[in-house]
Amino acid sequence: MKVSKSTKVLKLLVVGAFALSATTVPISGAIANTPNLGAKCTDEGVNTGTTSRSLVCVKTGAGELRWARVKLSSSGQSPVSASRAPSGSIEFHHWRGEDRTVFDSIIAKFEAANPGVKVTQVIKDSTSYQATALTTIRSNPKAAVFTTFRGGQFNDFFKANMVVDISSQRFVKNNVIQSALAPATVAGKVYGIPYQSLFNNPLYNADMFAKRGWKVPKNWTQLLEFCKTAKSAGIIPMAWPAGTRGNAGQILNSFLMNSAPDLATIEQRVVDIESGKADLNSAWFKDMASKYKQMNDAGCFPNNVTGYNDSVAPVDFATGKAAIYPTGSFGISSVTKANPDMKGKIKMFGMITTDDKPLYEGITNNTFILSVNPKSNSRDQQIARAFISFLAQSNIAQEYAIGTSQHTSIVNVDYSANVDLLNVSDIMGKKLLLAPRFLFLNVAQVRDPMEDALIAIGGGADVNKTLTDTSAKIKQNLGK
Amino acid sequence: MRKPKNVIRKGESKILLLMALPAFAIYAVLYLYPALSNLLWATRRWDGNPESEPEAVGFRNFTYMFTNDDVFIQSLGNNFRFMILVVIFQTGFSLLFATYLTKNTRTTIFLRTLYFFPTILSSVSVGLIWLALYDPNYGFINASLNALGFESLALNWLGDSRYALYALAVTQVWFHTGQMMVIYVAGLQQIPQELYEAAQVDGASKWQQFKHVSWPMALPTTAVVVAYTTIQTFRAFDLVYTMTNGGPLNSTEILVTLIYRNAFFGYQYGYAAAQTVVLVVVVLSLTWLQRRTLRLDYGAK
Repeated sequence: MKVSKSTKVLKLLVVGAFALSATTVPISGAIANTPNLGAKCTDEGVNTGTTSRSLVCVKTGAGELRWARVKLSSSGQSPVSASRAPSGSIEFHHWRGEDRTVFDSIIAKFEAANPGVKVTQVIKDSTSYQATALTTIRSNPKAAVFTTFRGGQFNDFFKANMVVDISSQRFVKNNVIQSALAPATVAGKVYGIPYQSLFNNPLYNADMFAKRGWKVPKNWTQLLEFCKTAKSAGIIPMAWPAGTRGNAGQILNSFLMNSAPDLATIEQRVVDIESGKADLNSAWFKDMASKYKQMNDAGCFPNNVTGYNDSVAPVDFATGKAAIYPTGSFGISSVTKANPDMKGKIKMFGMITTDDKPLYEGITNNTFILSVNPKSNSRDQQIARAFISFLAQSNIAQEYAIGTSQHTSIVNVDYSANVDLLNVSDIMGKKLLLAPRFLFLNVAQVRDPMEDALIAIGGGADVNKTLTDTSAKIKQNLGK
Repeated sequence: MRKPKNVIRKGESKILLLMALPAFAIYAVLYLYPALSNLLWATRRWDGNPESEPEAVGFRNFTYMFTNDDVFIQSLGNNFRFMILVVIFQTGFSLLFATYLTKNTRTTIFLRTLYFFPTILSSVSVGLIWLALYDPNYGFINASLNALGFESLALNWLGDSRYALYALAVTQVWFHTGQMMVIYVAGLQQIPQELYEAAQVDGASKWQQFKHVSWPMALPTTAVVVAYTTIQTFRAFDLVYTMTNGGPLNSTEILVTLIYRNAFFGYQYGYAAAQTVVLVVVVLSLTWLQRRTLRLDYGAK
C-alpha cells in the first residue's frame, strides 16, 4: 500500500513528539495544564506524589500558579515484570543497616516468587564498606549483587572490571527513570541501577517559618539576611554539622552548582583540581570559600561550629532550636526520630549562593548503585539480575520508598503514603543538578582535605592561609 | 643420681616440635607472611587492583614521606605528642591510684572496680561518650565550666586544632588508667611488707617509703606499664576515628589513621605499607629505649 507523503510527515511528527515526551526528565517536561484537579494550587513546587500521573504546582509564564501533570514514566514503554530466577543462593552486600528490615521483607517476597532462591544480606557500616567492599566482593563470587557509592567507589569498581553491563536488560529501559541512570552509565553502557534518589538540599522547619513570618531565602543576599534575622530571634539559622565531614560537605553541592556559568566549566574545574593543574587558590574556589566565611560572619552557623557534629545538629533542628538543617532528604528520618512531632513540618529548599540567575536550583543524588558481580557464576548472576529487576517493580520500590522515607529512581512509585516524602517532593519541580561534590573522585587525597579547609573557613579560619596550606597538602598527596 | 623430671627425653623434642607446628603454621600464615610481605609492598607503588601491575619504586615511598609529605610528618609529631602526654599522665595516675588502693579492703576493691570500669567499654562507646561530654555548646564539660564561672575555659575542644589532640589524650588516659592501675596494684602487692616495716623503724615518712621502697621495687611494673601505654597510643585508631577522624585539619591524625586513609581511601597500598614499616620501627625503637632507660635489660640493678 502506498503511503502518502503527508501521512509520512504526520507519522514522523507523531514519533518525534512521542520521543520528545518519552525522553523528557520527569517534572521538567511532559506537563500539561489540568484545570480540574481538586485542591487549589498555592505552593509552587508541591507535588501530589501520585503514581504515573503526579501533579506539580508550577508557575506559568504569566506568573500564576497552576497544577501541571507530570509523567514519571521515562521510556514511553510499559514497565516489565521481574525476571525469573533459577534456584540457588547469593549474597547481597550493602552498607545500609537502616534498610535491613525493608530489604528483609522484600527479599522474603522475592524468595516466595522464586522458589529455591535464597538471598542473604551482608551489611557493613558505610565507612568499612567504602574501605573494603572492592577487595571483599572481588574475592567472593557469592556476593552476586552489591551496592556502590556514586562517584569514587563506583568508579573504582568500574576500573577494576567489577561491574557487569546490564544495558540489554528490559527492566533497565522500561522500569527506571532514564535520567537517573547517568551515574551508572559509562560510554553509553549501563553498569548498575542507581536505586535510591535523594535530594541534598537544606531541610527547613516550615512550621517555624510560617509562624514567624519568615520567607525561604531565594538568593545569596536573602540567605545572609535570613541568618541575621533568625540569629537575632535566638534561633540557630543553620544547624550545619561541620564537626562531621560527611554531612558537612553536603552544602558544598549547593555552592558548586552555581559556581560557574555552565556544567562543563564546573566539571572541568574539578578535573583541574584533581589533576593538580589548578589548586584551591583559583579565583572561583577562593570566591566560593569566601562565602563560607561570609555565612560564618552573618551568624548562619551555631557557635563553635567546627565542633558541632551530626549527632547534635538534627536534634537541634527537631527541637526547634534551629531553623534549617542543611544536609538532605536522608536526614528526615533522624529528625522525626528525635521529635515525631516534626512529621509533616519539614520542607526542603534549594540553597542559592548567587544573586544572579542561578544555573541550578537544587541538588539530587543517588545514594547507591545496584550492580552485578562479574566474578559470580552465570547462575548467580542470573539470580542477581532477577533480584534487581524485582526491586525495579513499582510496588516493591514503593515499599522500599515508604519504609525508608526515600525516593527511588523507579517509575510509577506512589509516595503519597509518606507525608515527608510528599513534602520534600517540592524540590522535584526545580532544575536539579546531580550532586557535583561527587565529581571529586579522589576522596582521600583531594576531596577530604578540600572539605576540611572549607569547614575550617566556615568556622572562621583565614581564607587565604587555609587555602594555601591545603593546596600544598593536596599537591603533596598527588605526588605520592 | 636421679634424673630431673622435667628434662626432655630423647625423641620427645621432635614430638613437641610437631605439636607446635599447627600453631606455628597459623602464626606464619596469618602474621609472619603478611608482615614480611609488607616489607616488599613498601617498595612498590600499587593501587590495590589485582589487574594492575605493582610498580617497583625502591625506597622512593620512604624518601617521599620524610621529605615531601607534611601530613605524614605532622601525624608522626602528633603521635609523639599524644604518646608523651598519655604515658606521663596515665602512668602517673595509675601509680597514684594503685598506691592508695594496694590493700584489700571493701572500699579499695570497690574503687579499683570503679576505676577499672572504663577499660571494659568498647573504644567506640568511649569515643561517643566523650564526644557528648566535649560538645562545645551542650556538653557537660563546658556546661560545668560555665556554671562555675570559668567561661573563658569553655573551649571548642574537638573542633579547634589547638586543643583537639589534648582532648583526645584526656580521653585515652581516662580509658586506660584503670587497666594500668590494676597492673600496678599487682606489682605493689608483691613488695615484701618487711621492707616497709624496716623503713618505718628507721623513721621513714610515707613519701620516703614511696620514694625508697615502692618506686624502685615497682620499676619492672613501670616498664611494663610504660611499654604497654606507648603501644596503646600508637594503636589508638578507634578513639581518633570515632571522635575526630583525624581532624580538624589533620591536627589529630596519627600514624594508624593516616595509614588506613592512604590504603583504603587513597588506594596507595605501597605507600601505606611503607608507613606501616615506619610505624613498626618507631614502636620497636621506643620500646627498646624505654627498657634501656628503665634498666630492665642486662644492666638492671
